[in-house]
Amino acid sequence: MNLQIVSYGKKGQLKIQQMAFMLMAVTLFFVMVGMFLLVLMFSQLRESASLLEEKNALLLVTKLANSPEFSCGEAFGSNRINCVDADKVMMLKGNMEEYSGFWGVAKIEIRKIYPDNENVLCDGGNYDNCGVIEILSKNVNMLPPSSNYISLCRKDSYEDEIYDKCELALLMVSSEDKT
Amino acid sequence: MIRKKGQEEMVGFALIMIIVAVILVIFLSFFLNRSNEEFVESYEVESFIQSMLQYTTDCRDNLEYLSIQKLIIDCQDKKICLDERDTCEVLNFTLNKVIDESWKIDEDRPIKGYKLNIVVDEAIVLNIQEGNITKNSKGATQFLSRSGIDYEIFFSAYY
Repeated sequence: MNLQIVSYGKKGQLKIQQMAFMLMAVTLFFVMVGMFLLVLMFSQLRESASLLEEKNALLLVTKLANSPEFSCGEAFGSNRINCVDADKVMMLKGNMEEYSGFWGVAKIEIRKIYPDNENVLCDGGNYDNCGVIEILSKNVNMLPPSSNYISLCRKDSYEDEIYDKCELALLMVSSEDKT
Repeated sequence: MIRKKGQEEMVGFALIMIIVAVILVIFLSFFLNRSNEEFVESYEVESFIQSMLQYTTDCRDNLEYLSIQKLIIDCQDKKICLDERDTCEVLNFTLNKVIDESWKIDEDRPIKGYKLNIVVDEAIVLNIQEGNITKNSKGATQFLSRSGIDYEIFFSAYY
């Protein structure tokens, strides 16, 4: 068997080298553009994921606030959005054992924002002048709470005259941590 | 002759690199601008505005204690409370208190500032602003219409 050693010219070698560099540059360019597009897509994905997460948490709380057990209905005039009837809630708090598994959450709490009554727990006697209505609290591990602003309304009286009193509050809901 | 051809190729290659660099810089500046300045339409703020408008103030007319929503309308009509306080003064005081308690501004808190604008027929009638106006914000607008007058309540929280 005869082996032949082929000797390419120097010009050919240079051409091959040039082509290799060009291919590397083109590949690098497309890789960079691809990476850039990926970063752009992921940033948008993260943005929409956090928005979706916020929306879901708020929807859960809003669903609860607008459920018949909580909502004001037409007790304070026309139908209101995100309005919770404090009188209903206090009654519900007293009969919570029948509802403990109804919403599938571990904790439901209403915290008044304005006027701020600090952490004074509400009961049947002081609920016009308290800060926190603890509706449901299971003795389990809980996820961080989701909250949404609500209008907490009740019937109040001044000089024997009954009027509607609405305060600003946060409805907070925690689910059970099953991990 | 060979040298001239090689020079032409090098110039071509350099041109391609420059064009690529320019495109990348344009992309990068567009991307960085997007991430720096961001306004997010927020459901939380929307709920806050709706709940805030229902808050019962201590201003009373002949019939009832007025909500913030009714106070905004009465302020525009230049009405006064039963105890002769100006409705606009009560509105300003109550809104300041309510927003201050709801969106606490602190170094340790995520909220760095907030802004509330009440616009009536495209003119700002009330502006409440506190803290720093940063590039990231979340906000919402609530529209009302009474007696042919359009009211626009805009709130934005900066973080």
